[in-house]
Amino acid sequence: MRKILVFASKELYTAFRDRNLMLLMFATPLVLSTIIGLAFGGIGGNGDSELPDFADIPVAVVNLDEGVDTQEVITLPDQFANLDALPFDPGDLASAFNQAGLGPDQLSQDGTTLNFGDQLAAILLSQPVEGTGTTTTEGFDLAELGCSLLDESETIGPSSLAAGGTLDDLLDATSVDSADQARAAVDNGDFAAAVIIPPGFSRRIMPHFAFDGDLRLRTQPPGEDGAVEVYANNGRPISARILHSLVAGIVNQFVRVSVAIGATLETSVNTLASSILRGDIDLSTVDLPASVAALQELDATVLEPLGCLITPGANNITVAQPPLEHIQEAPRFARTIVPIGASQAVFFALFTGVFGIHSIYEERKYWTLQRLIVSPTPRIFLLAGKLLGNLVTVFLQILILLAALTLIASVVIGQPTLIWGTNFAAIIIVTLALALCVSGLGVFVVGLAKTPEQVNLFGPMINISLAVLGGAFGFALPEQAARFSLIYWGVDAFMQLANAQTDVAVNLLVLFGQGILLFLVGAWLFKRRLDL
Amino acid sequence: MRLMVEARNLRKTYKRHDGSTIEAVKGVDLEIRQGEIFSLLGPNGAGKTTTISMISGLVEPTEGDASIGGFSITKQPMDAKRLMGFVPQEIALYPDLSARQNLAFFGRMYGLAGKTLSRRVDELVEFVDLSDRQNDRIDTFSGGMKRRINLAAGLLNSPPLIYMDEPTVGIDPQSRRRILDTVKLLREEEGMTVLYTTHLMEEAQELSDRVGIMDHGEIIAMGTQAELTQQVGEEDRLEFTIGAQEVAEALLERIQQETVGVTRILHNPPEQLSDESSESTPSRLTVFAKRGRTALPQIIQNLDAAGVEIQSVAVREPDLEAVFLALTGRALRD
Ligand SMILES: Nc1ncnc2c1ncn2[C@@H]1O[C@H](COP(=O)(O)OP(=O)(O)OP(=O)(O)O)[C@@H](O)[C@H]1O
Ligand SMILES: [Mg+2]
Repeated sequence: MRKILVFASKELYTAFRDRNLMLLMFATPLVLSTIIGLAFGGIGGNGDSELPDFADIPVAVVNLDEGVDTQEVITLPDQFANLDALPFDPGDLASAFNQAGLGPDQLSQDGTTLNFGDQLAAILLSQPVEGTGTTTTEGFDLAELGCSLLDESETIGPSSLAAGGTLDDLLDATSVDSADQARAAVDNGDFAAAVIIPPGFSRRIMPHFAFDGDLRLRTQPPGEDGAVEVYANNGRPISARILHSLVAGIVNQFVRVSVAIGATLETSVNTLASSILRGDIDLSTVDLPASVAALQELDATVLEPLGCLITPGANNITVAQPPLEHIQEAPRFARTIVPIGASQAVFFALFTGVFGIHSIYEERKYWTLQRLIVSPTPRIFLLAGKLLGNLVTVFLQILILLAALTLIASVVIGQPTLIWGTNFAAIIIVTLALALCVSGLGVFVVGLAKTPEQVNLFGPMINISLAVLGGAFGFALPEQAARFSLIYWGVDAFMQLANAQTDVAVNLLVLFGQGILLFLVGAWLFKRRLDL
Repeated sequence: MRLMVEARNLRKTYKRHDGSTIEAVKGVDLEIRQGEIFSLLGPNGAGKTTTISMISGLVEPTEGDASIGGFSITKQPMDAKRLMGFVPQEIALYPDLSARQNLAFFGRMYGLAGKTLSRRVDELVEFVDLSDRQNDRIDTFSGGMKRRINLAAGLLNSPPLIYMDEPTVGIDPQSRRRILDTVKLLREEEGMTVLYTTHLMEEAQELSDRVGIMDHGEIIAMGTQAELTQQVGEEDRLEFTIGAQEVAEALLERIQQETVGVTRILHNPPEQLSDESSESTPSRLTVFAKRGRTALPQIIQNLDAAGVEIQSVAVREPDLEAVFLALTGRALRD
């Protein structure tokens, strides 16, 4: 058994001291990746202030908000907790409102629900926004309530980010049905983040009222539930932050509306109530319909300054994002070099795989194989040593290329940058899976080919085909085709890891499965090469 | 006397790419005694390498088996292989590794390690007198130096039996001398059993206790040198190199009949070097005669009279070359 290791380490040693081989194994892929990386990724350091850099941030939008039945808000007996203290019959008020066409009857007839979640989702998805409250009632359309003092762009988020581009350019939002589904997709790297609008979002925003001991109407603080969650991908902190401020901007807008409504109602009702209490108003003489009509005339614009002045204190939004600390969103060059470098590394490793195994013909030609066979070493050990040596060589080659690309990227970017992410264990496992696949393919090709000339012909042909399929030459084929290439699976895994994803199980399964299969079939075919 | 190698009915049939077969070795029986130097002498393509390959476990015999120190090479290959060293006809070394690295690697494959290994490598580079070059890459070595390391690599496991397949091919006379001396030294000082193959009669003659003469995949004669030369009798061999010209059969018959002691005359006509070239090799006339020196003047006279241009004459006493010639009708060197 020790002889397997002896033979394998000889393989490794000869591979790593051959200057031409080193050139092919390392220099070529590094130079190629760097050139392509510079051409496509630019030298630009952080580049996170450039809009094109952050165009089309993939976002999942989950809207679970069931909205608020307006009846709930307006039906007095429910809403006004200590209603009995009122010196008048709320029923009269209600019927007066009803007569004016603004009472609970109309609202419940309409079956109107207020759904802020729909609004938020529609904005994010760049769909036409409908009125916030879809009542048919005239004069009190919540959608009209805004704060004209605020910059237009601020209504959709930090102006700096949206400058020169619409929200549609900035986001590439997709509606997703379930929160878990969305979180999983973010973990996969399919989305930079998910905006999850929980059930009860509208309820939280909609003001709730109660009378205090002095019979004054007070807006109740919002409950604990209903905060929007921005679930972000750890590897894309800047995208996540953009989205977070965006959502916060929109939600704050809703809150301003809500606060404005609350304040208006509070003021009106309290004025009314105190007048009644002081006896200024004789209820019997009050022309309720007229009062209601006056109330009806309250135009939303009147309340604007209020909406602008009151900054919502409630934390309407939480960001569920793993602590970022030192991690920064990868600079442009790093993001370009990851797929290019990974595919080049695997592509060139393919040659090491085939030609490392192909060297069995060299050993035959130089009679070193014969010398080994004559030594008291079972042939199966020679076979195992050869394969193990090749596997380790390929593994080290990919690993060294990853390390060298990290260095190059760090130099280009101007600061140490771990372009492959920080999950070193996963990086090593993916590399191992790839090495198994690459080396297995080498064994298989050499085992299958009848002569060394056939290996020289078919080896590069197969490698180049895999590279084309896997997108190593800069143009991507449809994913269905790319999936046939181990390069696709390897590069995909490395990109996920670079984005701080750990969900590379499928990639590993494909690579390990393919590798082991190729190794077994290949070794069985290759055994013949040791017979003289 | 104990037998170190005992081969029975070894046969090897190779398949060519075009599907035809070639019988490289046709049923060879071989017995090599412990402590002797045994030579397999035969021209190119005689089947020497194929025979060695079979008794070393390199290629599987199509038929037959061999035992090495009592272990069957086909059934107990590991035990048999531990007893043997192997010096192949080719330089079986990694050209891009140093001499020392080569020896160390193959030493490990023979199970040596650590101090034992480095001591053995030291001994061997010293033995083949290449200590000063041991850290140079093999591909910077001369042919003779490569041969010496190639030989050293066969001695790593200090085997009681060593196979040497034409170890002097393609090297200068000094290097050849060293190797021949080394072979003798190994037998004398280490008591090694040596199987030595060559197509050079002189080497077999100088080294061997016993010789097997091989031709076309068969051992056509085997024994000590004395036993073999006796087979061709006491005849001397007169070798004439004559100009490229036709020699009449009648003339040769007359010489054989008229000259006392002449038993046989072989005429090798000139070989055309190529179709276009008018130049050709001189032809050779071999005359077997008892007391050859006595017969020589009369033969020369006869040839002269017939107008045959004599370029050189050599008188050879009975040797292995003569045996081969007598058995095959061809010269070993052809
Ligand atoms: N692997 C092979 N495949 C096919 N034919 C072979 C093979 N090896 C040897 N032969 C043939 O078998 C015959 C014997 O070859 P072998 O190498 O044993 O001769 P040899 O006596 O060692 O000759 P030389 O003095 O040239 O080394 C030759 O005709 C050769 O062409
Ligand atoms: Mg030979």
